[in-house]
Amino acid sequence: MSIASALRAAKRQSLSLIFLVIGAVLVLFTILTLINMIFRQIVLEPEGLLEAASDPEVTKSILLTLYASLLATLIAMILGTPLAYVLARHDFPGKSIVESIIDVPVIIPHSVAGIALYALFMSRSPVGKAFSSVGIIFEDGLWGIVVAMLFVSAPFYVNAAREGFQSVNPRLDRVARTLGASQWKAFYRITLPLAIRHLFSGAIMAWARGISEFGAVIMIAFYPMIAPILIFYKFTTHGLKAAQPIAVLLILICLVVFIALRTSSKYWERRK
Amino acid sequence: MTKLSRSGLTKMQAAMIAAVVAVVAIGGFWYYVSIGSSGKIPLKVFCAGSLTLPFEDIEEQFEADHTNVDVQLEPGGSVTCVQKITDVGEECDVLASADYTLIPSMMMTPDSNYTDWYIIFAVNRMTIAYTNNSRYADEINSTNWFHILRRSDVKWGFSNPNMDPCGYRSPMVLQLAEFAYGDTMIFEDLIEANSDITVSESNGTYVIDTNMTDLNPTERLKIREKSVDLIAYVQEGGLDYAFEYSSVAKQHGLRFLELPESIDLSSETYRDTYATVKVRKTTTVSTGKPIVYGLTISNNAPNPNLAEEFVRYIVSDFGQGIFRDNAQPPVVPALTNDIDKVPESLKAYVIES
Repeated sequence: MSIASALRAAKRQSLSLIFLVIGAVLVLFTILTLINMIFRQIVLEPEGLLEAASDPEVTKSILLTLYASLLATLIAMILGTPLAYVLARHDFPGKSIVESIIDVPVIIPHSVAGIALYALFMSRSPVGKAFSSVGIIFEDGLWGIVVAMLFVSAPFYVNAAREGFQSVNPRLDRVARTLGASQWKAFYRITLPLAIRHLFSGAIMAWARGISEFGAVIMIAFYPMIAPILIFYKFTTHGLKAAQPIAVLLILICLVVFIALRTSSKYWERRK
Repeated sequence: MTKLSRSGLTKMQAAMIAAVVAVVAIGGFWYYVSIGSSGKIPLKVFCAGSLTLPFEDIEEQFEADHTNVDVQLEPGGSVTCVQKITDVGEECDVLASADYTLIPSMMMTPDSNYTDWYIIFAVNRMTIAYTNNSRYADEINSTNWFHILRRSDVKWGFSNPNMDPCGYRSPMVLQLAEFAYGDTMIFEDLIEANSDITVSESNGTYVIDTNMTDLNPTERLKIREKSVDLIAYVQEGGLDYAFEYSSVAKQHGLRFLELPESIDLSSETYRDTYATVKVRKTTTVSTGKPIVYGLTISNNAPNPNLAEEFVRYIVSDFGQGIFRDNAQPPVVPALTNDIDKVPESLKAYVIES
């Protein structure tokens, strides 16, 4: 290929090239922030990382974090999928107000959310009392962590699911029903499969958001300690040297999990 | 459905979005330029959570007198405040701690050398804070509180001994209370029965062990990072009583008990009594002693002159008045470890102890 034709090709592709360069800045920003911390830990102090990985306190709290966030995500899916469907398919008065309310948790400071959740779910509140009679404890308990995570992560799921349902042409649904499918069956066989990838990626985002939550959780449940609180605790009591390996470990585990999930979601798409 | 323009948005929608963005952008920029801190010198003050309100009063006056300065208070656990400087490497102009001994032990050692002087400027006392809505609020007083805290329907709390000096002082108060009230079961009933914290005695010294990440409190006992954090729970009614400094209780408008001086860690007279109780935390051992606030200016302070000026406000008549109003008795005159090392402009306000 001559230089002239290469230049012509470059000119034709100039938008892509320029966007690529600009986009790389944002990726670099994220990568540098993380790599700086991860590499220093792995290269300079690998023993600190191994120590953290073999400390049952650390592994327990990371597992608790992943588990609590998974529960929050499942609840968001069970309650959020119908909501997202209604918002995608129906117009009703006050719909934009409902949509704004769903987004509020993204906006308000999470310590404020934490106090609000505490006031609603504390053992002495009517709600807390009702739940504790069936053995569900929020204050300094697993379910406190779950509601705090649910509060901050639900918007990510609902918004993604709503976009997913909106991307499915309602006519397909109507065709299925003229062919004799019930409304349930049309949803289950047509709309849901076509929107599932959106739902899946929304669930990943919600899960991730739950894992990272600190401010709301610490208000309602300092104990049992989720990883972000353990990291904060170690930083306060033992300093950066003790906190950083746990943080790096959490990042590495999440990175592996997310890459695996994203890859499988790609595979899913290709198979379709 | 409205007709879609080619961009995917209707012109009306695009105009509305543009209008909202423009209003926020212009309004924000105007605010930033006119009122915001642009052009002002930031003066970073790391302070113990219990100093927040009096320091806010001092900040207000300081900024009124120095319109080119933006005082930025960063309240936190006292240990955290010091670690932000020594571990993270953050720059700070004034550091004020609820336990002055943290300055010599964490900032004046050969491998962590950030200053060579400190000033003792105020004291505080331990108390139990509550509201009118706390259970048995009309019954509790300074002679029966340990009976009330024992009741199974009462919830109470203190801050984490490993994270906040008020936190390790709370179990100290309960151990000291055993001597003061002649009731040897107070610590066992209140602390040991409600958490994994233990106490052991040898040769008249009581060592309280909080050296664990999970203190494992029961649902009757709430343990949080800073004592100030507990206020919200008391006000919400989820907690009846919290161990606090009298200053914090007063500043937040809570009711509080006047505990005997022999247990409230406020009085120089009882120094020897306090010293019979120690707390073994995850990092160090703390010995009971009067609660004394200390401050210093770190060697790497970005604005040492303004920092000195801010400290002068704290140790002057003006600052002393503010501390009195906040139930945080000032030390008059303020004391220092080494008058020769104290900055020149502050020498007139302190004496060497």
